[in-house]
Amino acid sequence: MGSGLFGQFTAWYERRHDYARDWKARTGGQVVATMCTYTPEELLIAAGMLPVRVLGAHEPQNVSEPHIFGMFCPFCRDSLAQGLLGRFDYADGVTLTQSCIQYRQAFDAWRRHVPSVQWDYYCPMPNDVQSRHAKAAHRHEVRRFREFLEQLTGRALDEAALNEAIGVVNENRRLLRALYEFRKEANPKVTGLEAVYAALTAQFVDKREHNAELKRVIAALPDREMEREEGVRLMTIGSENDDCGFMAMVESVGATIVIDDQCSGSRYFWNEVKVNGDAVAAIADRYCERPACPTKDYPEHTRFDHVLKLAQNYKAQAAVFLQQKFCDPHEGDYPDLKRHLEAAGIPTLFLEFDITNPIGPFRIRIEAFLETLREDDLF
Amino acid sequence: MNAEAATPAAGEKPEFWRWAENVWVDETKDWRSAKTLTLGIDVGSVSSQCVAVADGELYAYSSMRTGSNSPDSALNAFKGIAGQTGMTLNDVHFVVGTGYGRVNVPFSHKAITEIACHARGANYMGGNSVRTILDMGGQDCKAIHCDEKGKVTNFLMNDKCAAGTGRGMEVISDLMQIPIAELGGRSFDVDQEPEAVSSVCVVFAKSEALALLKGGYTKNKVIAAYCQAMAERVVSLLERIGVEEGFFITGGIAKNPGVVKRIEKLLGIQAMATKIDSQIAGALGGALFAHTLVQKQGPAKPLLA
Repeated sequence: MGSGLFGQFTAWYERRHDYARDWKARTGGQVVATMCTYTPEELLIAAGMLPVRVLGAHEPQNVSEPHIFGMFCPFCRDSLAQGLLGRFDYADGVTLTQSCIQYRQAFDAWRRHVPSVQWDYYCPMPNDVQSRHAKAAHRHEVRRFREFLEQLTGRALDEAALNEAIGVVNENRRLLRALYEFRKEANPKVTGLEAVYAALTAQFVDKREHNAELKRVIAALPDREMEREEGVRLMTIGSENDDCGFMAMVESVGATIVIDDQCSGSRYFWNEVKVNGDAVAAIADRYCERPACPTKDYPEHTRFDHVLKLAQNYKAQAAVFLQQKFCDPHEGDYPDLKRHLEAAGIPTLFLEFDITNPIGPFRIRIEAFLETLREDDLF
Repeated sequence: MNAEAATPAAGEKPEFWRWAENVWVDETKDWRSAKTLTLGIDVGSVSSQCVAVADGELYAYSSMRTGSNSPDSALNAFKGIAGQTGMTLNDVHFVVGTGYGRVNVPFSHKAITEIACHARGANYMGGNSVRTILDMGGQDCKAIHCDEKGKVTNFLMNDKCAAGTGRGMEVISDLMQIPIAELGGRSFDVDQEPEAVSSVCVVFAKSEALALLKGGYTKNKVIAAYCQAMAERVVSLLERIGVEEGFFITGGIAKNPGVVKRIEKLLGIQAMATKIDSQIAGALGGALFAHTLVQKQGPAKPLLA
């Protein structure tokens, strides 16, 4: 276990494959590699499985290019590379719920070319979640996914099992929201880097264990003394981000990241399943209603106001776009979202991320951006 | 004040890219009579500058080649001034470090990014009407917007590669075997303005330049094609941020008219003139910030290198 209050989360993150192997050995359950956070994890958990989100490793690699294009986003390429390099060799199955077409191709290459994968499931999901037919369609797809899992395991996923899983996942969401609440305070007791560790590990650690650790940390937070200076309060915006070196750098040069709109952070856990007597329908609806990824946010751009509200509620003074290179959905949103934030008095900085990122050049951009925001003694 | 090609000593292999290190001191002033004496040290990827500001006015500067180690390069730049003025670090009231080696200046009291420093320096050199600054440095270029005080309001930097920067110009100088300070003038001595080389990548441009030479281009025409490519590259950066009136160019390449005039032509805007060496803008801005900090906070205790 790592040191400090968030040491367990850091240790889980840094040894995530060891954790999954260990979980499998001690429970005998199946591990499922999940691609994209639209996966209805409640079904997998009800089936006694461990959903483990596929993340990249931020290392140079040369294995993804024969399968997907080099101009697919770094997260696609890195995620596929991890499969091809055998890093997820403990995963029994792999599943994707539709979001962007590039990631779907990364998934397709995964299921064809990662030999350790025993089964795969593609769950179609409407991108037009604003359509009046979307929820009905997605309920149907989640039901089909349940049937698939029932056949696979030979075990019924009844209402009781699903409701129990919903309870566990909802509790995890509530606890992460409670953790994020501390970030609203002045000189928050949770740094952006710590929040990333907490939110990311929820995506591959057994939720029951994760909940217990979150409770322990949240109970200790009120008495925590922060010895660092707050600096400028920043928001991060983008898709997946687990570049912890980058986050640590930002928070070492006079800033605190207080909120995010990213699928590795708040978008993953923001809303709960509203239990209504039909567990599958409630699960499906939750994913249609969650804070949208740009692939599922049209014709109306619901996320623009959501992002602005987050920035305002968490008193972010400025926002940094962590743009995965070649990520078309986020690039498409960028110009209008930038205007939307800046019109409300929130300045923005745009950084383009790749599989590996140059910390030095990013540092000067961040420092110069912070200098423009500070009212200091220089003038 | 512009750099001139260094004359190689007898028996040495000529290095055409090597610009002369230089030191300038305002002989009309005496730093000993100044109430406030501050330094800005800009450790860049290719060159390091030290600027001394006495009572808020430019007093002296040195421009040296950056070595393999930032602390030594910073000290070497200061020694350039110290050698001619007798100034020691004990005489200085505040030191600001800037440039990519800004956190490794052992005797600086504060590190400020070169983006802020170039804007402040350009504001001093060009006056408070400067609004858009193009800093063409050794291995990167930056487009900066600032207000009437020289405070940065927006900026953009080139991405990872060093194409179209000072180092690229040094490579072309060496390849053509023409001293770097002559490249700009020669680029206009052509019968017809050529197309830009298609790649500003230092490595690819080198092979493209060789191919052009073999294809019958004169050296001057190849240089013109390279200057044009560099101008087009930085203009695309500038257009992303927008160019406002009050356009000022800083950095080593500002001394190369072959690039500057082509940028002006592409933009349809004249860059503002200055009598001060454009390469010292970052260090000058640092020294001016240091001066303001002394005014507001009082002098700092000297840190010895």
